[in-house]
Amino acid sequence: MTTTEHNPDRTADVLIVGAGASGAAVAASLSEAGFDVVCIEQGHWQDSFKYPTADPDFEFKAMSSWSINPNKRRLPEDYPVNVEDSAVEPVMFNGVGGSTIMWVAHTPRLHPSDFRVKSQDGVADDWPISYEDLEPWYDLNDHVMGCSGISGDPANPPRSERPMPPIPIGRDGEMIAGAFDRLGWHWWPSDAYINSTRYGQGRDACNFCGHNMMGCYQRAKASTDLTYWPRAIDQGAELVTGARVREITTDSAGRATGVNYLDAEGNDRHRTARSVVMAANGIGTPRLLLLSDSKNHPAGLSNSSGLVGKNLMFHMFGGTSGVFPEHVEPWVGPVANIILSQEFYETDPDRGFLRGYTFQMSRGQGPGSIARGVAGHRVPWGENHHAVLERRFRNTLGLGPIGDDLPEEHNSVTLDERLTDSSGLPAPKITYRVSDNSRALLDHAITQGTKVLKEAGATEILVNPQSRETGWHLLGTARMGDDPERSVVDKNGQSHDIDNLFIVDGSVFVTGGAVNPTPTIQAIALRTADYITNNRGDLKA
Amino acid sequence: MVIKPDTYLLTAALNRVIPPVGDLPGAGGMDLAEEVIKRSAADFRFQDALTRVLGALPSPNDFLALDDDGQDDALRTAESSHADAFGLWLDVVYTVYYMHPEVHQRLGWHGRSPQPEGNVMPPWDGSVLGVIRKRDPFWRKA
Repeated sequence: MTTTEHNPDRTADVLIVGAGASGAAVAASLSEAGFDVVCIEQGHWQDSFKYPTADPDFEFKAMSSWSINPNKRRLPEDYPVNVEDSAVEPVMFNGVGGSTIMWVAHTPRLHPSDFRVKSQDGVADDWPISYEDLEPWYDLNDHVMGCSGISGDPANPPRSERPMPPIPIGRDGEMIAGAFDRLGWHWWPSDAYINSTRYGQGRDACNFCGHNMMGCYQRAKASTDLTYWPRAIDQGAELVTGARVREITTDSAGRATGVNYLDAEGNDRHRTARSVVMAANGIGTPRLLLLSDSKNHPAGLSNSSGLVGKNLMFHMFGGTSGVFPEHVEPWVGPVANIILSQEFYETDPDRGFLRGYTFQMSRGQGPGSIARGVAGHRVPWGENHHAVLERRFRNTLGLGPIGDDLPEEHNSVTLDERLTDSSGLPAPKITYRVSDNSRALLDHAITQGTKVLKEAGATEILVNPQSRETGWHLLGTARMGDDPERSVVDKNGQSHDIDNLFIVDGSVFVTGGAVNPTPTIQAIALRTADYITNNRGDLKA
Repeated sequence: MVIKPDTYLLTAALNRVIPPVGDLPGAGGMDLAEEVIKRSAADFRFQDALTRVLGALPSPNDFLALDDDGQDDALRTAESSHADAFGLWLDVVYTVYYMHPEVHQRLGWHGRSPQPEGNVMPPWDGSVLGVIRKRDPFWRKA
């Protein structure tokens, strides 16, 4: 699909920066409500039939041109990230669909307690909204993206029937689930935005190819280029691709007036709009707000609190892998949409840390990726190479915790003083260290994960204390709240400082929870869109 | 740019890193050095790693003059002194090796790309939930 600019001299009602998970949802919702919507995206449309999973060298591409890490991928539409002072490297994809192109589409929801961490556990802050506030938009998003799953999970509030039955957990899933059962611990089939049956326009059921991180050839895995964007464009939304926004512009009163950007040919351009919606996620959004400093906003846009870029949260990820005596053929089926366990999700002070984690079962991939390392354990070179590879290749399953990562102001996104992107704009610099609470949480998860894998029959356990290239979830850097001195946007995603600037991505998270965040990000985006529709008629021409 | 003598050095090193197994020669004997060089040239990180690792080994003639244990010692020295580069170089070597059809055949792996053929999705079996369905809700109310 290609798009062309419609009358670029007009003043749009809403200009969205970023065409990923949240930007697409807002574009579809607001265009349906009759707003004139334009979105500017630095990447491009993807052709699912050209995804590398159909190439014999797909494993090589996974560590080069299709790496999850923009510092390794280094495409013109990517921006480099300075990670010298970070224990975690962020991963992302820049293009129409954003990181929903390169995700596992594992889609659990936050728990009610995640919204009340300060009240319940005495740390961090409460959200200005509750689980119940978001629930209608979670449900709506599950239907648009297409959720496979089954209701009745005792670890979560009751929820509506999923649009599709669960993705079958397979014999390997049954091995791990059986171990949880014998230990008396919780497990449940994962909610997944992967089709277990045909669902959505031109989207087949999953064919269990097993490599769903690198785009989905089958179009069974939901990405917003397949779900929200076709709707939005049918409703008149304009999507400009290959264009990099370099600043949000403001008028003498400090209100947003549009953006300056570089088009696909590198020309300086300006688009005017009655409002701007930031949807570039937890690194791209604070970067652009900081790049948009001006006389009226000397510390960057919407930064009177000084919190833009602060409180960066990833989800701590490490874990365990088990090597089993029998073949489990771990390349068959989705990589990480099998089962989860939330036995240790809620706070128990006796464990020595606050909050908790979700266990997520994972499979392996091809022999090259197994050789490069399961749980960070590269197969040794030399005389033992073949024996170790053969022991692990067909026989390894993983159990990784996604741990709650509480906000700390010193974990941050700032502008790098030297590093720039391909357009010469300052790149983001990440400063991040693992807290004592996170370390204790991960240690607990490794102990319990080892117990589960041994119960399931594993004869060798590979431990990764903390993975570095796992910054999938970019959260907290423009948090929401009721207090303008302690937050960047209000409960509706509207900037405290600028009433026609909204933020709808992972930046607004107050705490991170212990689940993959995309359904929550999209529910927040849809809720903000409905707020604009119902309360901000002044933004419509 | 990797010059010709380094191909000999690389070939010899590959034979020690992934030695012969079964009917297969070592990775060097499978003529994978050229592929490693070609793949490395496409990415500066890989190229840099290759250059550093080969540069940390003895000269081609000296390396080839060593016996197997001596070559392994030389590789271990390079690994110790250039750990990051050596690891990245290994990633390239391993990935190239495990793309080879004869290696797939030996492993008994189908060896094809994941798509378009894929695999068969098994049926959903709700009986697996028999135990966990008996558990009372335990999520924390807020």
